[in-house]
Amino acid sequence: MPIKFASVAAAFALLLGAGAVSADEGGHAGWQRQADNEIGNLPSLQRGARNFMAYCSGCHSLRFMRYSRLAEDLKIPDDQRDQFLVPASKKFTDYLVSSMPTKDAAEWFGRAPPDLSLVARSRGSDWIFNFLTSFYADPASRQTGVNNLQLPGTAMPHVLASVQGVQNAVWRNEEQPGPDGKPIATRVFEKFEPGVVGSMAPEQYDEFVRDTVNFLQYVGDPTQLEREGLGIWVVLFLLMFTGIAYMLKKEYWKDVR
Amino acid sequence: MSDHAADAAVPEVDESRRKFLIAATAGTGAVGAVLTAVPFLASWNPSESARAAGLPTEIDLSKMEPGQMTTHFWRKKQIYVVKRTPEMLASLTSHDGELKDPKSEESDQPAYARNEARSLRPDVLVLIGTCTHLGCLPKTRFTPGDATVMANWPGGFFCPCHGSKFDLAGRVFEGSPASVNLVVPPYSFEGDNKLIIGVDPAAQKGAA
Amino acid sequence: MSAVIEGKGGFRAWLNKRMPVDQFVADQLTGYYAPKNFNVWYFFGSLALLMFVMQIVTGIFVTMHFKPGDATAWDSVQRMVREVPYMWLIQPMHAVGASFFFIVVYLHMARAFLYGSYKAPRELLWLIGMLIYLALMAEAFMGYVLPFGNMSYWGAQVIINIFGTIPGIGPDLVEWIRGDYGIGDATLNRFFSLHVVALPFIIALLVALHLVALRQVGSNNPDGIEIKEKLGPDGKPIDGIPFHPYYTLKDIVGVGLFLTLFAIVLFFVPTFGGLFMESPNFEPANPVSTPEHIAPVWYFTPYYAILRAVPNQRIGALLMALSIMAFLFLPWLDRAKNKSMRYRGFASKVLLGTFFVAFLMLMWLGLKPADPLYVVLARICTALYFAFFILLPFVSRADGNGPVPERVTYHAH
Repeated sequence: MPIKFASVAAAFALLLGAGAVSADEGGHAGWQRQADNEIGNLPSLQRGARNFMAYCSGCHSLRFMRYSRLAEDLKIPDDQRDQFLVPASKKFTDYLVSSMPTKDAAEWFGRAPPDLSLVARSRGSDWIFNFLTSFYADPASRQTGVNNLQLPGTAMPHVLASVQGVQNAVWRNEEQPGPDGKPIATRVFEKFEPGVVGSMAPEQYDEFVRDTVNFLQYVGDPTQLEREGLGIWVVLFLLMFTGIAYMLKKEYWKDVR
Repeated sequence: MSDHAADAAVPEVDESRRKFLIAATAGTGAVGAVLTAVPFLASWNPSESARAAGLPTEIDLSKMEPGQMTTHFWRKKQIYVVKRTPEMLASLTSHDGELKDPKSEESDQPAYARNEARSLRPDVLVLIGTCTHLGCLPKTRFTPGDATVMANWPGGFFCPCHGSKFDLAGRVFEGSPASVNLVVPPYSFEGDNKLIIGVDPAAQKGAA
Repeated sequence: MSAVIEGKGGFRAWLNKRMPVDQFVADQLTGYYAPKNFNVWYFFGSLALLMFVMQIVTGIFVTMHFKPGDATAWDSVQRMVREVPYMWLIQPMHAVGASFFFIVVYLHMARAFLYGSYKAPRELLWLIGMLIYLALMAEAFMGYVLPFGNMSYWGAQVIINIFGTIPGIGPDLVEWIRGDYGIGDATLNRFFSLHVVALPFIIALLVALHLVALRQVGSNNPDGIEIKEKLGPDGKPIDGIPFHPYYTLKDIVGVGLFLTLFAIVLFFVPTFGGLFMESPNFEPANPVSTPEHIAPVWYFTPYYAILRAVPNQRIGALLMALSIMAFLFLPWLDRAKNKSMRYRGFASKVLLGTFFVAFLMLMWLGLKPADPLYVVLARICTALYFAFFILLPFVSRADGNGPVPERVTYHAH
């Protein structure tokens, strides 16, 4: 009986680990990094909110997030909320909707800037981190002058160019098997090289992006911390209940021989 | 092999231990059930959307004529705002004997509206336009002397459903099925011409 | 204790004159004898009932805020989890609950394979159970479409299109199911009605019939013998014990353990790495943008893998249907005298083990993209899957007819 219990528990723990890690992971290419953001880091979230309002909210909405909710969760005082977060034309309970008209945006950029409320859940924090850090100069093939390793052919210009600068991508030629098996010369990414310099050093910029990603993860799942906090108590209570119920069961099962 | 030890000595049943364990399990289970019910029941409370929609309503008084009433909505309730004339105010003193609650002791209004005019400022009357009998919308009968309402009618409101009558401060007349005066919601002023329904005066902005 | 009962004597007598309450308890609980050798595989029936109740309750509350309709569904889900108190917990309970329901149901079915619980006189019990399984699959499929995320849309597109392979009526049938030329408002609204009203009623009815059928023949057990054949001097099976208090109390422990595991997932890893709540479904339905890998939720993927294993769409759909229907024939394909695998030979155990492994492999393969290696593996596993049903009559007759045990094996616990 204890062996059975242990094996069931072990099997479940294995499944849990496998499930939690595997299905989403898609496999990281060599150059891709992890976001490593800490959702519980409040100053980081506040900086991320500031970054988003300053650089992203012009085009991107967070249409499921209210200013009031944001200020409450991120502990931003009312006066600062009204001064820095809420635009003059909006109420503090309004949703964060960008003022860029969608149809025009689709015309200008080829694709309307998507709403980012859930991007951290549909694409993942690592994807966003790599997206924002892997813009590189590509005036030859892109109208925006930049391309992106995480999302090649992206319609988004490098909005953060003033902060990161614009790096250059270094490629090397490799022979790789083509669809018919014969080797084809393909271009393989090797590394980034500094190009135009921005206002931040690379490590600083990484932190900047990390904060922004952290903020977007919060927006995608605002109750994550509350959920996990409550979960500890629920699991402890259930373990206690199970223990008591088990003692009751054992007591009665003494009858069975 | 298995233990079919039917012939082995059956140990004494410890009844008190069993009773204790049953109580402990049932008790913990009951606590768990109640705690589990909490989120489900709490989900019925007004959502953030409801609370956002229930924010204070701002009304511009500058366009109102004296003697005019405008209607508004606040927290899904109809609000009557009357710009009272001096004559309307004068009419309030003459009929205390005919009112059920002239001093508004039984009725529902903020402390600052517990006066004869039932208002913060005498020239502006703010009421919830719901008859305190069974909830119909009282109609305006502002003309004094209107015999169709009653003898010596000073002006006020008349509820068409069951005939309750209220004066120009929302106070209920004897003979009405309603037993208390019309309700006054919390409100305050910002400057001379802005009326804010839902916020008490000198309270934090956005606190109601 | 007795003083309390006497105190209730008046009310209890009044009640029992009008409803057979005491009789019911005596017949179904304290007087119903179940085999004493139930092991861990026997928890999953009561757990399935628990999950059914949990899905109904959480579903009732989710329905209070969900707005069916292609323009409103997606938004209503997001707004409810962000703005309605505690819906951030209740909505994921419903989504995670669906996956846990299927984990429990699959383990419940596995028990039947291990101990021959589908064999006579329990064939009807098994068939009703299979109907519950089919209804549950329909219920889960429709439930997944309702939030109208991108995987909801494309998953619905793929699955409904499978019906298009039926010769002759296919394309018309697809349009009839959808109610429109494409998946949209009509489809969503009818799925809502079926998911919230029709199917829960049908499943509840089937569960009731399932329990009635079980009560009629009595439960099987890990040793596969019929305990009613050996009665003691009191007229009760000597290898049986009253369901109450022994199995009521044991099932409560099972519930406690199960809820602990459920809570760990719900509170800490609700998406379960994208298995329980798939990433593409965090984007609204987009008819012009398909997700990278369209896959159904994990509990459908074994059959999806079989569908994709065949290069011909029509035959693949046929084979997929057959793979589910095959379960219905199990009671008659199995020719062993010994119900339980414990008393069958090595060949039977290998055959069953291979089936379990093939099923799990197909489940894993159905989640993967259709790369050449995975397709080959899927074909092998499909063959093994069907081989189980084809070989069962022969293998079971060959090594399942050894001596049937007299008594159950029981170790005190």
